[in-house]
Amino acid sequence: MRVAVDGTSIELADGTTVLQALRAAGADVPTLCFDERQEPFGACRVCLVGVAGAPGPLPACTTPCREGMAIDTHDETSRRVATAIVELVLSELPVAPAPHTELARVAASLGVSEPRWRGMTHAVDHDQRHPYLAFQRELCISCGRCVRACDETQGAFALTATGRGFDANVTAGLDAGFRDSSCVSCGACADTCPTDAITENTLLEL
Amino acid sequence: MSRNLVELVRRTHARGAPTALEVLKRALEDHGEITDDDRREAARLSGLPEAAVYGVSTFYDDLRFPRGARHVRVCTGTACFAATGDAHVRELRDGFGLELGERTEDRSRSLSETVCLGFCHSSPAVRDGDVIDAGEGVVERVLAGAAQAAPEPEWRSMLERPVLTEPSDWSGLRAALASRSPESLLEEVQAARVRGRGGAGFPAGEKWSFARAAPGEQKFIVANGDEGDPGSYIDKYLMERNPALVLEGMTLAGYAVGADHGFVLTRSEYPLSKPALEAAADRARTQGLLGEDVAGSGFAFDVTILEGTGSYVVGEETALIACIEGLRGTVSARPPYPAARGLYGMPTVVHNVETLANIPFIARAGAAAYGQLSPGATSGSKLVCFNERFARPGVYEVSFGGTVRELCDEVAGGIAGGGQLKALQIGGPLGGVLPASLLDTRFDFSELAAVGCMVGHGGIVGFDEQTDMRELTLHLLHFGASESCGKCFPCRIGLRRAHEMFADGRAVERARLEQLLEALEVASLCAHGSGMPAPIRSLLAHFPDELGLA
Ligand SMILES: Cc1cc2nc3c(=O)[nH]c(=O)nc-3n(C[C@H](O)[C@H](O)[C@H](O)COP(=O)(O)O)c2cc1C
Ligand code: SF4
Ligand code: SF4
Ligand code: FES
Ligand code: FES
Repeated sequence: MRVAVDGTSIELADGTTVLQALRAAGADVPTLCFDERQEPFGACRVCLVGVAGAPGPLPACTTPCREGMAIDTHDETSRRVATAIVELVLSELPVAPAPHTELARVAASLGVSEPRWRGMTHAVDHDQRHPYLAFQRELCISCGRCVRACDETQGAFALTATGRGFDANVTAGLDAGFRDSSCVSCGACADTCPTDAITENTLLEL
Repeated sequence: MSRNLVELVRRTHARGAPTALEVLKRALEDHGEITDDDRREAARLSGLPEAAVYGVSTFYDDLRFPRGARHVRVCTGTACFAATGDAHVRELRDGFGLELGERTEDRSRSLSETVCLGFCHSSPAVRDGDVIDAGEGVVERVLAGAAQAAPEPEWRSMLERPVLTEPSDWSGLRAALASRSPESLLEEVQAARVRGRGGAGFPAGEKWSFARAAPGEQKFIVANGDEGDPGSYIDKYLMERNPALVLEGMTLAGYAVGADHGFVLTRSEYPLSKPALEAAADRARTQGLLGEDVAGSGFAFDVTILEGTGSYVVGEETALIACIEGLRGTVSARPPYPAARGLYGMPTVVHNVETLANIPFIARAGAAAYGQLSPGATSGSKLVCFNERFARPGVYEVSFGGTVRELCDEVAGGIAGGGQLKALQIGGPLGGVLPASLLDTRFDFSELAAVGCMVGHGGIVGFDEQTDMRELTLHLLHFGASESCGKCFPCRIGLRRAHEMFADGRAVERARLEQLLEALEVASLCAHGSGMPAPIRSLLAHFPDELGLA
């Protein structure tokens, strides 16, 4: 199958997603809920791109390529809306994300610093009961990557999304900390977390 | 949704064990709250990991708030808002001395909100235990402990010969099984150009042909009876007053696509729906119309009736499937579409119950007759319903293509007591608001879309001169933010921010609001987030002076 990414035509295998296609073509868009080791999730919506003939921007990570598709990673609406979403994400955190985090890097790449919308932030709540894994609940942006890492990569099923709407978050087991759950201390969740909400304790102490 | 969890629940289903959600609901009914022991038990019985069960127990409204011996639920839906401006909610809160979601310390009483009890013809509505009371004096009666069952809504067909309001005699199914192949039934439904009645208007025939062509060892039909639209009680009518018609439509769909089982998901807010459907299914089984050998044709089809647990977004098809599986009712990205990979990973046709109720007529009378029900407009007839502000609220079967004014004035008798209609919200919370000046718009898909509105599911909520449009905006955004499933970022955070912009009472900066609405419209994963801006856009367009804009 052939698709064009920002005007450059490339040949792809069937079943390729738009995100895989544009990365194969050397282009890129920011992502927050995507981890190439996991099934695409389609939650953050910052990977929007323009596709010729589509009624509006499409999320690159969950959209399959079609023969002859023309993908535009510079589409103005897509970039404008992605910027707004990253501002919304920053607005839910009580503190700015640490500069080395994926979230901070995505925000910087879009030139986002001060959100246009401010309001309620997540309550500060730290769970340090586990010897190696620390959880700072207020930094969680509900991207679902830790839950998928635990499910798809590790098969430990120790994590879950909780609540709904703005109060959505994640937890381990029956919400009594990582230690009292089926967590096997592999650290896959901390490894994928884009905000440092879950970290390996050693990192936190640094 | 996680493929691993779906595989786990598929195995649970195959061995006939209850889902985690069913176990949790039973626990709640038994002792009024969910404990960790209940969660462990749900995990053990359903085979789901404990964490996943915890996630389920924190998602659904019915499970989230503890219940007292006497549990009172007050409707915060749009029809009840139109009736009182939410005065009934404040009065109950003050009268009981409880906040919404709170229980007294001695566990004798609890108060929570519920979004639409299907008594919008008689708003405001309150459910006290199992009694739904509504209308004039309801707050006083409930506070005095003297709630009385309100009259159920009435229905009427405006057609010469009713289609959706005629009791099923299963003749459509008998005719199809006797004289048609599944392919020929599918072709007839395609020719009839049935558009989905659940909101999106997608062609039913197309969905059926995808599911029929999709590979799968088993296929399912799912009837979406989640009718979450506040102000709508159409599916309530069908499920409770004409349940056999829905079951007949499901069986026909099963025959055409090659499915051998159907599920109906009803709402917990409609306590009569599940028993009514179950009684109809039992009658059909006795008559040989459901089961191993439907009407002696050799075709096998049966149904399971399930009840939801309180969530608007579970009406979205991927979330609905997750709820049937007993998982968190969050939306999944499509593709894969349910027609390819749906319930338990199998090809599944999800239809609104009203869409399914259209099928028996097509099977019996054919596509041409179906087209004639609304000459020159969308095929078939439509059920609409009106809120208590109208003189003759109820469920009506109408043709497409008449004007909204005809519906409001001739069918529903205009605003009760000679009041003035200010605006309407048609088709649910994601539908635009039609100002009285546009009442001559035709009631059909493209005509309503042209004025920023939609047919949606067909609930019509009228607002009279008493309605404060800024309060209405706040009401709608409260609904949007509290029902957001939390899966995608724009809706999860954006609806909260939009609500906050109006909630703090200050002037709202229009440009900043519109930038937020754009992000919701363009980027949301499902039509909850992308649709909630529609009524806000109409309010901005038609009532800017009343919104307190900067
Ligand atoms: C937030 C949301 C809520 C929905 N609620 C309902 C509902 O209560 N009932 C319904 O039939 N469809 C509802 N839908 C539409 C379903 O996703 C689906 O399109 C429909 O059930 C398909 O049936 P139809 O083709 O017969 O209309 C909802 C969609 C969204 C996005
Ligand atoms: S803890 Fe981190 S990885 Fe997990 S959902 Fe929150 S932000 Fe995403
Ligand atoms: S738009 Fe809202 S309801 Fe729909 S998937 Fe996103 S968060 Fe969930
Ligand atoms: S990366 Fe595509 S939606 Fe998050
Ligand atoms: S009963 Fe209150 S909105 Fe329907």
